[in-house]
Amino acid sequence: MADAARAAKNFAMLMRPPTPQPKHTRLWLAPYVAIGIFALAMLVLTALLQWRELDTARSALEGDMHWAERTIENRLHAHQDFLAELGREQEFKQLTYEAFQVKASRYVREAPEIQAIVWVDTDGKVEWVAPNEATAVFVGEQLGGERLAALQEALRVRRAVVSQDYRDATQRPSHDIIHPVQRGSADLGAFIALQSLETLLRATLPTVFTTRYSLTVVDAQNRELLSNSSVKPTDRQVSGQISLELPNNRLGLNIVAYRVGGAWLPFVPAALITILTLIASVTLIQLRRHAHHRAETEEELRAAYAFRQAMSQSLITGLRAIDLEGRITFVNAAFCRMTGFDESELVGIKPPYPYWPPEEFDRLQHNIDTALAGQAPASGFEMRIMRKNGERFDVRLYFSPLIGTNGQQIGWMASMNDITEPKRARVELERAHERFVTVIDGLDSAVHVADVQTGEILFANRAFQNIFGFDSVGQNSAQITAACRPAPEWLHHDPATLSADELPCELFDGEIQHALSGHWYHIHERAIRWVDGRTVRVQIGADITDKKHIEEVNLQQQKRLEQTSRLITMGEMASSLAHELNQPLSAIANYCAGCVKRMQAGNYKLDDLLAAMQKASDQAERAGKIIRRMRDMVKKGDPNRQPIALEELVDETRAFADIDAQRTGTQIVVDLPDNLPKIVVDRIMIEQVLLNLLKNGIEAMGDVPVERRLLTLQAQRVDERMLEITVADQGHGLAEEDIEKIFAPFYTTKAEGMGIGLAICRSIIEFHQGRLWVEPRREGGTVFHFTVPIEE
Amino acid sequence: MNDLTQTIYVVDDDEAMRDSMTWLLEGEGYVVACFDSAENFLKARHDEMRGCIVLDVRMPEMSGLELHEKLDGLGSQLPVIFVTGHGDVPMAVSALQRGACDFIEKPFHNEDLLSRIRRALELDSQLSARRERDGAISHRLDQLTQREREVMQLVVAGKLNKQIADELNISMKTVEAHRARVMEKMGVRTLAELVKAVMSVN
Repeated sequence: MADAARAAKNFAMLMRPPTPQPKHTRLWLAPYVAIGIFALAMLVLTALLQWRELDTARSALEGDMHWAERTIENRLHAHQDFLAELGREQEFKQLTYEAFQVKASRYVREAPEIQAIVWVDTDGKVEWVAPNEATAVFVGEQLGGERLAALQEALRVRRAVVSQDYRDATQRPSHDIIHPVQRGSADLGAFIALQSLETLLRATLPTVFTTRYSLTVVDAQNRELLSNSSVKPTDRQVSGQISLELPNNRLGLNIVAYRVGGAWLPFVPAALITILTLIASVTLIQLRRHAHHRAETEEELRAAYAFRQAMSQSLITGLRAIDLEGRITFVNAAFCRMTGFDESELVGIKPPYPYWPPEEFDRLQHNIDTALAGQAPASGFEMRIMRKNGERFDVRLYFSPLIGTNGQQIGWMASMNDITEPKRARVELERAHERFVTVIDGLDSAVHVADVQTGEILFANRAFQNIFGFDSVGQNSAQITAACRPAPEWLHHDPATLSADELPCELFDGEIQHALSGHWYHIHERAIRWVDGRTVRVQIGADITDKKHIEEVNLQQQKRLEQTSRLITMGEMASSLAHELNQPLSAIANYCAGCVKRMQAGNYKLDDLLAAMQKASDQAERAGKIIRRMRDMVKKGDPNRQPIALEELVDETRAFADIDAQRTGTQIVVDLPDNLPKIVVDRIMIEQVLLNLLKNGIEAMGDVPVERRLLTLQAQRVDERMLEITVADQGHGLAEEDIEKIFAPFYTTKAEGMGIGLAICRSIIEFHQGRLWVEPRREGGTVFHFTVPIEE
Repeated sequence: MNDLTQTIYVVDDDEAMRDSMTWLLEGEGYVVACFDSAENFLKARHDEMRGCIVLDVRMPEMSGLELHEKLDGLGSQLPVIFVTGHGDVPMAVSALQRGACDFIEKPFHNEDLLSRIRRALELDSQLSARRERDGAISHRLDQLTQREREVMQLVVAGKLNKQIADELNISMKTVEAHRARVMEKMGVRTLAELVKAVMSVN
């Protein structure tokens, strides 16, 4: 648990910015320079020390050399003095052999380098030898060579001489110290001391000296005579030469100090310093590399942090980390934004969290328990939480384990999405889809969509599935709908070859009978672009079986109605004419009754009576005309069609219409083009139609100002068969819904109208293979059109 | 009982009908005035008109029935005789319900028309006489004081003098005085006459 807490802390640290790196400088060179200077100083110091040591060694050598020189010279001087003492005794004949023997033996014992002391005559013949046991020379032995030459030289110069060096019997380098003895000018002989160089050195120089230095004895010609050199290496830097000036001889002593501690010793400190410097440099380079790497890593970390921070801040998804006990360890900006709480208000809090609405406590507690137990569903929790201001909103929370750097789980990371809007959109979408499906499924028509290329049915509504099977989606449209499908050659276009620009495009619109059920369908098929871009055929099939049946019934009913209508029409026409007849008849009756009354009373003027009778007569004629018209109309089973000029027909009709026109102040304008062909019609019938239309027009303008009461009658040739006549008024016009109804029997817009007129008119015109229709006039009012055949 | 001030107003859109009607009625000695449309008649109409209206039902624009309705609205009491070409029973019933005097179908016998006209004129005479009498009673009523009218209403309602006195909180003597003055001003002698006069006005 402590580990986990530490890891959580680490995680929190991770989410905080690392300290910024110092600026790049040349500072990193300093250690290198320091190391370089230090190494250099050490090397110099070492060199100085070595130089000083060398100097000391040289000084010691010099001292030693002087000491050795003096010692050797003293020794040699001592030998010469001893020989000189012997010589003096010999000169003065005080020396006997025995004395010589004693003195010389004693001396030889003290000076081991002297192998023997002999007394030779002037010719070089050995006479005395001391000590007796000496082996280097024997009595009677004749000196020869250089030794003799040296003897003679000594005798000649009358002072001690040292012979050239020679090898004695044991091949050791030796020389003779020759001291001539003369008495007066006579040569007596000479005392000679045979001195071994090797022993001289051994005897004169202490062992300390010989172990410290390599000694080499050279003669005057610088030839090496003797060397005590051992295998030990020497130091040429510490060397010197002692020159021993002997009478008639010169010996050189080369002294070279043995090297102390081997040849490599002087280089050890330098090597060590160099090695240490190298190690230090390498280490430093490694360190620098490491630091560089570290800096890079830090830079990466910083970039990663900044990236993560930006990501975290810019996320619209709320992030919340909790430890294993549910304590909040981290929240991002979006989470704070969503809940309205500050980070400080949330971090460190254990459930229940402040954004839990009280009414959701139990559910949310259950959710968090589930999540902490690691059983959060992959689809997350959908829950309602509360902003700080109390506003509720819906979120979806996804849990994922939070793994620490040591690989152990340290808590749970939850991402929170505000799904209020998506939820609303989803609900809206679902509703829209539901509506769509409801509407589509609610249709009677079978609707289906099939891919043009594969024929696969992509969509089918309930009506389609009812007919063709509930598993039809996904199957091949051509197979499924084979029983009721337009043949490919019936289609307006081949849907497979349509390009995207040509869509949507109608493919088929027609009626097809289902081969199996016998039902009739009105199939409307279009090619459209489907939601995924491919071309599909949308087919809408409406079952029109019932409609077709109704149409047939309607047709029959229509026929019956027409027959009935014709009967009614005749009756109505009679009724209408009877009404018209009432007027003149009533008038006649009135005139007559008036005349009778006056004549009965005897109170009359003849002129008045005549005028009245004349008027009665006129009315009788009017009645006659009406009767004739009625008879004409009734008698015709077959219309009496004859060619007649339209002008003539219009004139006759106007005679009737003018009565109403004058009364209402309506102006009737007849505007006919010249050279109109004759029309072939039943005159009375068309006159009746025209009269009806004119009267309608006059009545329609009853409530417009008098100056606007203008009725226009025009005619024009439509084609070689028909002539069109129009009657236009400027009245109140017709309401939209009245336009078609006015031709229906018993329909009227007039208070006391019978509602028969226009129905009859249409019947009459249709009887003539013409057409009667009405249009609203653009400037107000109504225009009636009818067509009648013309003479061929 | 031909009142010389009475006029027969003929309203018909058919010229022949107007002319022949005039000829017929003038022959009978009536004063006739013709109008070719309902609108023109309305323009000419005034309250002093006496007589009756012979009205064609079917006319363009304003029909006879519409004119009758308008006249009712104006308070005209002139009797109306409708003339129609179609014996349309429902229409006739509605017209009569609205107070039309009579109804005649074309073609008609002149005596039928004349008898209807006579009846209408008589009705007109009665109505005008009654209007005059009502006018007189109204005039007398106007002369009563407020208190007298209150007393009269209670008397007509059949209350005894004592009850009236109690109700109006006045003395019996005062009631009797008011009552006598009411009888005097109304020109009646008995309680029955007073009641009749008051009822006729209401």
